[in-house]
Amino acid sequence: MVPTYIREKEDDMPKAPTASAVTLSRRTVIALTANAATLALTPLGALAQGGGAWSRVDEALAIVGDADPIAEGVVLDLPAVSEDGSTVPLGVSVDRPMQQGEFVKAIHIIAPGNPYPLIATFNFTELSGRPEVETRVRLNESQTVIALVELSSGAMLVGERDVRVTVSGCLARADTYDTANLFTTRVRVPESLAAGESGEVLTMINHPQESGLRESMDGGLVPKRLIERMDVTLDGEPVFSADLHRSVSSNPYIKFFMTPQSGGTLDFTWTEDTGETAHESAELAV
Amino acid sequence: MVTRRTLIKSLGAVSVAAPMFSMPSIARGQSAGRVVVVGGGFGGATAAKYLKRQNPALDVTLVEASGRFYTCPFSNLYLGGLRDFESIGHSYDELTDVYGVNLVTDWAEGVDGDAHTVTLASGEVLDYDKLLLSPGVDMRWGAIEGYDESAAQLAPHAWKAGEQTQILKAQLESMDDGGLFILSSPENPFRCPPGPYERVSMIANYFTNNKPNSKILVLDSKDAFSKQGLFEAGWRELYGDMIEWVSLSNDGRVVRVDAENLEVETEFGEVHKADVLNIVPPQKAGAIADAAGVTNEGGWVPIVPETFESQQVPDIYVVGDATVAAPMPKSGFCANSQGKVAAAAIVASLAGQEPPAPSWVNTCYSVLAPDYGISVAGVYHVADGQIAEVADSGGVSPADADSDFRRREAEYAVGWYDAIARDTWGTGA
Ligand SMILES: Cc1cc2nc3c(=O)[nH]c(=O)nc-3n(C[C@H](O)[C@H](O)[C@H](O)COP(=O)(O)OP(=O)(O)OC[C@H]3O[C@@H](n4cnc5c(N)ncnc54)[C@H](O)[C@@H]3O)c2cc1C
Repeated sequence: MVPTYIREKEDDMPKAPTASAVTLSRRTVIALTANAATLALTPLGALAQGGGAWSRVDEALAIVGDADPIAEGVVLDLPAVSEDGSTVPLGVSVDRPMQQGEFVKAIHIIAPGNPYPLIATFNFTELSGRPEVETRVRLNESQTVIALVELSSGAMLVGERDVRVTVSGCLARADTYDTANLFTTRVRVPESLAAGESGEVLTMINHPQESGLRESMDGGLVPKRLIERMDVTLDGEPVFSADLHRSVSSNPYIKFFMTPQSGGTLDFTWTEDTGETAHESAELAV
Repeated sequence: MVTRRTLIKSLGAVSVAAPMFSMPSIARGQSAGRVVVVGGGFGGATAAKYLKRQNPALDVTLVEASGRFYTCPFSNLYLGGLRDFESIGHSYDELTDVYGVNLVTDWAEGVDGDAHTVTLASGEVLDYDKLLLSPGVDMRWGAIEGYDESAAQLAPHAWKAGEQTQILKAQLESMDDGGLFILSSPENPFRCPPGPYERVSMIANYFTNNKPNSKILVLDSKDAFSKQGLFEAGWRELYGDMIEWVSLSNDGRVVRVDAENLEVETEFGEVHKADVLNIVPPQKAGAIADAAGVTNEGGWVPIVPETFESQQVPDIYVVGDATVAAPMPKSGFCANSQGKVAAAAIVASLAGQEPPAPSWVNTCYSVLAPDYGISVAGVYHVADGQIAEVADSGGVSPADADSDFRRREAEYAVGWYDAIARDTWGTGA
């Protein structure tokens, strides 16, 4: 089950100190554990070396194609330890100006330790303003999460981050989904923006985001049922969209930015894999 | 390609070239070793006592800011009208008089891990061979817009027992019947995962007896919580529809607090107005952990599971809520259990011996009404270098238990409190 490269990593972790080790080496081990952990968390760019975890993951290689991803400028924000793998807050930001010419086209999120590694793809436009997005994801186990960033020039950036997933003892939970508010949508947009100012947009839809992998009470699997896509337009112009897969947490939540030059009506559409859609709109004053 | 192994190797070379570690410290003092413990709560008081029990020749100094310790456990029962305040207070007399711990009532301000010293607010400097920190949690002031220390005087957190608990109690008592009590509950990890839900149960008990037309609203930054099924069934059975819980995905997450007006605003912009407002904010390890350089970027302390020694600074051990010990929860029981493991590891290390193989236990009782208790339990050990729950070791109370079972669990909760208070401070309840 566990992909080989993860097992390798764990073997590489210094073992916890045994007291038979002399004091100095024991201390060394402790200090190194800390240092190694810190380094593993810094974007790979800091190490100025290629070939991160992405290079061993088919789903990542399929996106990368012929490009040569640079480990630079991508900040993948995840808790180092998550006590609830069913909703792990995830943020990505890219240190690139969204200017004409070269803007961030898409960010792909990949969790190689999940049964279906590709979690989501977020698509940006020149209206998006800031190449930054937040969501909540499912992580099956401890692993290195990958963000691949596609630039409009065709170049690619990559960021990676280790996350340890545990379940806290006091958190034992019943795994049921209350469908009372199914398809309830919520959005929050800035009250007003100056032209060219970037503002935060928050969206959420109540939906179980059934992965098709969850056991039901009778021992079978709960059928797959997913919100597959969210589209956001301003007076018909695309602003932002997201392709969502099985590892997006239930009640898909997305926060992104936009930098409009003029106001208008923001339209939000969520599409389920059945084809069913949900809509929401909001006026934006610029 | 840089693998972890090459990284470690190259770092190893650096470390050997420039050793940054002091010599074994026993050589420094006359005694069997000087241990300073900061924090006289569940973790620290237990550790101080067990250090002396295992090796009375150790010189153990406990630095604790307050002269008397009020426990968070059972502080909800005080709010619910089941106990008086002094019944959750404990003195340090047993530690000083029976075990010979030096008690210093002061605030530890700084730690110098290289020099092995702790500086107190009074200016006094304590030398240590081993330092144990059990500072509990600090609130992340400002993590929720508008919620800072002065706001907490108007909208208390009551997540450290003491004055804060009494403010909340007084507000509940002066509230009119028919009022609305709002509790905002944080995302994980935080102190005592079942705590917010036990609290609203106890306040519902108080309302039922005194202000039966009042309502309770829980605004949550989570979609699920500890013992949720048991709590929700208990709430329905005991309190009808008095308690309403709003999950994260129903816009339960509070992002702004207006303490003057007792108003909160949720993520998607809904404003709720309370008569009594209880904000349990996001938390982090107590400040001294930061000062000692043992916290990670998330504000908590990574530890070596076998010993609870810091992964970042040698000779500093950290236990309790301040640590990253998941899957062990941040509970008083765990802090007590970790305090014993760290004490044993320190005693062994100072004697040049191996630390004993640790295991830890936890049971969290929650009291929903005077005769209605529920629990979650677990046993933990180290597996593959990480703390893990022993398979099939624990679980929660059965969902279909009868009233007799619930009554007995409420009694066990009292028994548990009594036992842990005796074990930690030598004082029962
Ligand atoms: C409402 C509520 C209910 C709870 N119920 C339960 C329960 O039923 N069962 C259970 O097991 N757990 C329960 N808990 C959790 C429990 O209170 C904590 O897990 C426990 O207190 C953690 O112990 P600790 O030693 O880490 O910190 P604490 O017990 O908080 O002790 C920290 C001590 O350190 C002192 N200190 C901190 N910094 C300094 C410094 N720099 N200098 C000097 N002194 C310092 C503080 O004054 C404090 O006395 C509950 C918590 C809450 C909030």
